[in-house]
Amino acid sequence: MLWTITCRRLKRDRRGISNIIVIVLSLVIILAIVSNVVLWNYEMNNLDWEKMKENVIITNVERVTYGSQFTFENDGGLTVHLVSLWIINSTDHQRYDISVFVNSAETKNYLRDDISLPTGSYTVKVITERGNTAVYSGS
Amino acid sequence: MRKLSRNRRGITPVLSSLLLTVIAVAGMSIAVTATYVITDELHDNMGERLIVEDVWFTTGQISLYLRNVGKVSIKVAAVYVNRTDQSFTSLELEQDKHGWLTVTYGWSADSAYEIKVVTRRGTNVVDYYMSPS
Repeated sequence: MLWTITCRRLKRDRRGISNIIVIVLSLVIILAIVSNVVLWNYEMNNLDWEKMKENVIITNVERVTYGSQFTFENDGGLTVHLVSLWIINSTDHQRYDISVFVNSAETKNYLRDDISLPTGSYTVKVITERGNTAVYSGS
Repeated sequence: MRKLSRNRRGITPVLSSLLLTVIAVAGMSIAVTATYVITDELHDNMGERLIVEDVWFTTGQISLYLRNVGKVSIKVAAVYVNRTDQSFTSLELEQDKHGWLTVTYGWSADSAYEIKVVTRRGTNVVDYYMSPS
């Protein structure tokens, strides 16, 4: 009975409704901004955290009969995607597009018949998709 | 029909309600657009990541190979060599793209240079690089 009376009163009494609507809409907008920023920030932090966890090493580079062979070792906890290979010497900086996935704790040999290592001292560099670099110096 | 056209009572409340609705919708549209603009700018600022893959010292210039590893496209706005603004070739990189950025600079052999690349949104990458002997 009391409940019914209260409900009727509330239905009839419309004072202050607009204030409530304004507050609710403002809260919705603020929530949208905050959640958007927080979620994006979380995603970018995750990206940075993954980059920090990456650890790839070039353990060996050698000339083979046709081209060159590179050995990559993944000492990190995440699979790495190698996207760039650089062969650098005193006269040239040559970049090659590569796409090599190395699982965690895996060692992978990568053979390229179109790459010939320069004579004299050189540096080999690989870049991961997340932005890390591994360097190897040889001669 | 004639009665309706002659009877003008109640028109004012309808008009005022209509006007209020239009004002409310316009207000909300402005608020939503402002929200979108603010969050979009924050998004872009937070999503920028840039790396320097390689630095190559050639006669009269320094070439930097840049890669966009972030979530938004980037445009290089300034390059500083030893904290001095230098002229450079324009470079804009979409997500996961890469390319050469050539800076005109007369460098000396066997010296360390602090090179700083600044994007349009203010993200910067700075490191020291040794010139060849």
